[in-house]
Amino acid sequence: MNVHVPHPHRAEIRLAGSGGQGLITGMHILFRALALEGKRAAQSQSYEPTSRGGFCYSDLVVSDELGDYPLATRLDMVAALSQVGLDRSLPLLRPGALVIVDERLTPDPPREGFDLHVLPILGRAVETGSPRIANVVALGALAHLGRLVGDDALEQAVRLETPAKYADLNLAAVREGLALVRGLGASTAEA
Amino acid sequence: MTPSLAALHGNRACALAAIAAGCRFFAGYPITPSSEIAEQLSRELPRVDGVFIQMEDEIGSLAAVIGASLGGVKVMTATSGPGFSLMQENLGYAAMTETPCVIVNVMRGGPSTGMPTRPSQGDIMQARWGTHGDHPIVVLAPASVQEIYDETIRAFNLAEEFRTPVIVAYDETIAHLLESVVIPQRRTVATVTRKFARGDEQGFQPYAETEDLVPPMARPGDGHRVHVTGLTHMADGFPTQKPDLAARATRRLLDKIEQNRDRIERTETFEVEDAEVLIVAVGIVARAARRAAQDLRSAGARAGLFRPVTLWPFPEQALIEAAAKARHVLVAEMNAGQLALEVERILGRGRVARLNRIDGEPIPPADIARSIREIAA
Repeated sequence: MNVHVPHPHRAEIRLAGSGGQGLITGMHILFRALALEGKRAAQSQSYEPTSRGGFCYSDLVVSDELGDYPLATRLDMVAALSQVGLDRSLPLLRPGALVIVDERLTPDPPREGFDLHVLPILGRAVETGSPRIANVVALGALAHLGRLVGDDALEQAVRLETPAKYADLNLAAVREGLALVRGLGASTAEA
Repeated sequence: MTPSLAALHGNRACALAAIAAGCRFFAGYPITPSSEIAEQLSRELPRVDGVFIQMEDEIGSLAAVIGASLGGVKVMTATSGPGFSLMQENLGYAAMTETPCVIVNVMRGGPSTGMPTRPSQGDIMQARWGTHGDHPIVVLAPASVQEIYDETIRAFNLAEEFRTPVIVAYDETIAHLLESVVIPQRRTVATVTRKFARGDEQGFQPYAETEDLVPPMARPGDGHRVHVTGLTHMADGFPTQKPDLAARATRRLLDKIEQNRDRIERTETFEVEDAEVLIVAVGIVARAARRAAQDLRSAGARAGLFRPVTLWPFPEQALIEAAAKARHVLVAEMNAGQLALEVERILGRGRVARLNRIDGEPIPPADIARSIREIAA
């Protein structure tokens, strides 16, 4: 059972940040991973007319119910890669929600009311090979801490949803994300 | 053979459905949030010996689409509000010349350039009345990615069967929503192709008053006389301003849709049998409304949903039946009040309330539920 999801049949998950960070790709990976495990989801997004920058998010609603409302109404978890992405998602977060932020990109996270994890997401992405894979590092951490999907399914989905020539880089990124939070799962129950 | 399950976003589902329905010509001009349809078809159409053309603008796009259709091919274009406005003159031309075509309008915030990446339902009335003159039109309003797939196929079939333009209108939210879709095996997809002229070429009348009101179309090169004009015309295609003939010609255009409402109308209802409060909505708002109705039901309120899948002609009788026991009717829509005008016309203004949003955000279920509690209190 997922400790973060009060309703067993519905989970609402967000990747938040700015345009160009790969937030939509990130959720496509998670959608695929869930599908590999036979779970049903809907993925939506909001973006601005600029191709880079601006407030952007990508949501995933996991639900057993066919035709369920596909947009987020009360987020169970968010991983944020920009302060504006975090700030504009806060009103939709349920109390005690899992909040994953980057230590540099989101300097002012909410210190109370949420299950907060400040992680060196961008740092690990750069060390692994590129700042552009921060989305996949964040996804690895989110999927593991949120107990959304098995590591194997997630890695398989990364291979399926990213360009072949970047598959190894993205796999390394998702493993970095998983490694960042491995062993931290128990703390989430305190939220 | 079993159908397959695919993860698709709405615009991709639309493009794939067009191919499955037999579309072999697309002309368009890219515009957010519809561009993925053109992008997808630019790859898919050449694979099935179809033609993709990026035109200079939306006026040219629909003109090219009409031309290809007159050549005997199943055709489509896709656009959004500003482009849809540019297409209005040729939309009327397609209606008048009885040229089958499918026009996809992915609705974004307007007017004008508005909010290109934000959802809207601001074109509900433009889709019905955007072109001038009394004209027939069919507009389908899907609410899920699966329904975009299914209704796009139905749009082609209706366009072909009734020789009329058919609009598929949906909001940006479901255009870019990723959901699992059941893709039927191609050979199990029921497709309709227009009646082409057959038999004696002598005396053939291109706009003959057939019993079903839909004249067979002459395919250029087959031998039957082709006559295409936007002027009000007689059965032989030549223009007329004789009052009785002009009225008769326009009346047939309108009647071929009006008299086939039972074939064209499609609705979805949820818990309407005993509903004291009825929500009317389309697109993504209808999915929020369904959730709101569920939540209200579990709190003891008798709430239901009426969703016109065929938006125009508006399923009037079905609404009257769904609202039979309703003391209150709430029309929720992402515009300043368009669908509400039609619902008020049918049910009277007394029991119809409105919930509108024009800030580029979808209406969440909680807002609809709150609105219902307020009007029922």
